[in-house]
Amino acid sequence: MKNDNAFKYFSLATTWIWLIIFSFVPYGLVIFASLMSHDTNHLIRLPFTLQNYVELSEPIYIKIFIKSFYIAGISTLICLILGYPFAYTLARMKSRLKGLFILLVIIPFWTSSLIRSYSMIAILKAKGIINSLLLSLGIIHEPIPMIFNNTSVIIGLVYNLLPFMILPLMTNIERLDNRLIDAARDLGANRITTFRKIILPLTMPGMIAGCILVFLPAMTLFYIPDLLGGAKSILLGNLIQNQFLITQHWPLGSATSIVLAILLAVMILIYLQSKRNKKEQDLL
Amino acid sequence: MRALLISLILFFSTAALADENILNVYAWSGVIPDFIIQQFEKETGIKVNFSTYDSNETMYTKLRANPRAGYDIIEPSSYYIDRMRRQQMLEPLDKKQLSHYKNINSLFLKTHYDPEDKYSIPFIWGATGIAVNKSAFDPKTITRWSDLWKKIYLNQLMLLNDSREVFSVALITLGRSINETEPKQIKEAYQKLKELLPNVKLFNSDATISILIDEDATLGMAWNGDTFKASLENPHLTFIYPKDGFVIWVDTFAIPRNAPHQTNAYRFLNFMLRADVAKKIALDNNYPTANLAAQNLLPNSIKHNPIIYPSREVLKRGEFQRDMSDVALGVYEKYWEKLKMGS
Repeated sequence: MKNDNAFKYFSLATTWIWLIIFSFVPYGLVIFASLMSHDTNHLIRLPFTLQNYVELSEPIYIKIFIKSFYIAGISTLICLILGYPFAYTLARMKSRLKGLFILLVIIPFWTSSLIRSYSMIAILKAKGIINSLLLSLGIIHEPIPMIFNNTSVIIGLVYNLLPFMILPLMTNIERLDNRLIDAARDLGANRITTFRKIILPLTMPGMIAGCILVFLPAMTLFYIPDLLGGAKSILLGNLIQNQFLITQHWPLGSATSIVLAILLAVMILIYLQSKRNKKEQDLL
Repeated sequence: MRALLISLILFFSTAALADENILNVYAWSGVIPDFIIQQFEKETGIKVNFSTYDSNETMYTKLRANPRAGYDIIEPSSYYIDRMRRQQMLEPLDKKQLSHYKNINSLFLKTHYDPEDKYSIPFIWGATGIAVNKSAFDPKTITRWSDLWKKIYLNQLMLLNDSREVFSVALITLGRSINETEPKQIKEAYQKLKELLPNVKLFNSDATISILIDEDATLGMAWNGDTFKASLENPHLTFIYPKDGFVIWVDTFAIPRNAPHQTNAYRFLNFMLRADVAKKIALDNNYPTANLAAQNLLPNSIKHNPIIYPSREVLKRGEFQRDMSDVALGVYEKYWEKLKMGS
């Protein structure tokens, strides 16, 4: 019994120490830096100021925020549209191949996402696999420009982030009670109504979890717009990187990270809130 | 708990006591080949801890954030030497310990970034010009930066993904210095660049060589060393030193202030200055060397190649990038963001 307790405290303590050292302390430092003034020689200096946050309300920064939300939003939507039917089929699959398919979804994670993005270049570029194939088959006579535009950025993001959508959706759909679907059918609902009234609401938590897992990294994976999009626009990830490394404006870079974190936290809170309301409704 | 504490103390103290015959080198990636480091270790018996970075900013930020990082040799570019010497981050060099110092090409000495050559050893250099693929465009029709604004190059150009390099193109075209710090002139350059934007296909600084080889871009800004390397694979490539001027940079070796192994650092510097060593490096990384003795040892096909070793006359049109205040850099960065966001 005593041993059990020791183990409990030990594992709790490791988690907490881990969180404190690698999460709370760094975040505290970032918040602290975001409230300081900019200084060339010492990176940050007193006095405390809110100037950095005021600066972030300039139109150019708002534009960068909106553009990042837009690109991330579209990628999330595509991931959802592609991932939902896939996850549904996978979750309902009875075959022994199911394990293999899940493995196939996970395998890309074994390689660094940076390397996979470079391999996307090899596929999409002017002398890449697709263009060479189409040219040699005589289907096209000029290479199709598929890279260095918004489309290739979105292709890259969707490719990198799709598993984050599929996996939570799949676990959610697996738990779906078949009897509810049968009941709906017995009561005369057609396929579309069953999907809309039963399956969709019940898989909503999985969809939202997937969307959050895709949306957050989509905003900050700065190397994908750089590599696949030809670095033609600035997204939040690039903005923060430039503020730290090029202009050496650590306070502004910190403030940008904090604003991003707050926006994302608000989104998650809204989701949690809507879930809680739902539970109350269910009780009624 | 006590065992843990003791092992922790032991761990940190061995790290602190490890003051044997070592040298900590922090250099640009892709500049010093591994076999050169091994040759140095073999000849001197000094163990080298070799780490690399891919931008001056990364190196600078690391040393700023932790001045006792323990590096003995760093490799800043010219304008960072300017900044770091003014911020007293570098050791003055004792040239008496460098018997091969005379090998350096005098073109790269007595420069504004280190007027008395007190802190830096020029090592490799490069220039930013225009790379042209002959199978796509006639190189004779492109002689100056202003040619890039022609309507026929719609969605064709590659530009370096570097705010100051790109603004230099506009500043040169407007007849200004590439080291302009007046917000009004920088704004003018920004407006000029906005007119160039429809011609821009992509911005890239790290993969320019493969982009040029694979013809994903057939015209654009590039460094002479990169274009030379790409031209070895794709013979259609050529390089133009624009008539209206161009940016020139030098990567140098320096010893950071309070470096722990300075004696070894001098041995390393002198080793790198040797003509035979610098020649081997030049043959390996294909960047133009600032070591004249080494340049003379290179095969004719390289030392007379107009892409990497242009005539002195051409080189005179080059202008060194200078360091500027964070405020001025901030102005550039603001307009760079505006340019990319198309507002």
